[in-house]
Amino acid sequence: MRIIALGLAVAFFIIGILYGIGKINLFTESGAGHAHHVTHLVVCWVLALLCLIWARFQSAPRR
Amino acid sequence: MTFFQALVLALLQGVSELFPVSSLGHTILVPAVLHWRNIDRSSASFLAFVVVLHLGTAVALVIFYRAQWYAIVRGLVASVVRGRLTGAREERTGWLLVIATIPVGILGVIFEHPVRRLFGSPAPAALFLLLNGLMMFAGEALRRMQRDAAQRADKPIERLSYPAAIFIGLAQALALLPGISRSGSSMVAGLLCDLNHEDAARFSFLLATPVILAAALLEIPKLLAPQSHLVLVQAVAGGIAAGVAAYCSVAFLTRYFRSNDLRPFGWYCILAGAICFALARKGIIT
Repeated sequence: MRIIALGLAVAFFIIGILYGIGKINLFTESGAGHAHHVTHLVVCWVLALLCLIWARFQSAPRR
Repeated sequence: MTFFQALVLALLQGVSELFPVSSLGHTILVPAVLHWRNIDRSSASFLAFVVVLHLGTAVALVIFYRAQWYAIVRGLVASVVRGRLTGAREERTGWLLVIATIPVGILGVIFEHPVRRLFGSPAPAALFLLLNGLMMFAGEALRRMQRDAAQRADKPIERLSYPAAIFIGLAQALALLPGISRSGSSMVAGLLCDLNHEDAARFSFLLATPVILAAALLEIPKLLAPQSHLVLVQAVAGGIAAGVAAYCSVAFLTRYFRSNDLRPFGWYCILAGAICFALARKGIIT
């Protein structure tokens, strides 16, 4: 599970960057401005952060 | 937009964001009913104004639940540092809120603009407002049937399961449709997950806070648009008015739901939705 969580975190992080630089336009308004892509970037990075937290919970020693 | 219009829209936003009657639906329907044709909802200055209204509402919610948010954030941070969940009340509530926020975050960025483009006019907003009322009646009826059939007792928020939190989050995402209330849909989902009205309302308001705040913060660049200074005075006054209205609304609703249910709001939504839909169909409001 930890590997999956880390893999997802990396994937979301990279997808976020691709949205940020405008390489991905999936689920964005056609012709929308930069701000809309920034929203996707932020959401992807928040998901990446949550995946890292998930990985953290998987790696802590069990009581 | 005149100062008076700005103030009316701000008070409307502050109240209807938290009352289960759809703020988005009302901000489409009320200017249409009042024939305020000078308001261009797609202009940069109006969008900047809306950002400030949302900020005012979010700040009011944070202030109202400040003690709870402090405990929740402390619980979340402590659990991440520890790398382990203890099941403490505020920590559990915090993670339930995080889990419930994910669906609306994802669905919001995917569907917000297409949905607003398709349904952001008075007739669909009125129809969804009517459906919002029916949803509240259906929610109350289903809850009574569940309780009668299974004799289930109410749960406190921290005993919600994570799938239940996702269900409530998905229900909240219905509010992307203009006319469907964020607090109404998440409260109905909370009731169906065995929360009582008071806890369903509290969970709904706590859940709304990060969503409204994030939506406002992400839109802050719109405040830097050259046209936004045109509405600076209206925006500041509107933000304060929306915040005060939101604070009063949440204070009222938390007391109201200790002993009352959603049906009065359901009646209001059905009546207002039906009247506005009829007016829109006849072309009286556009």
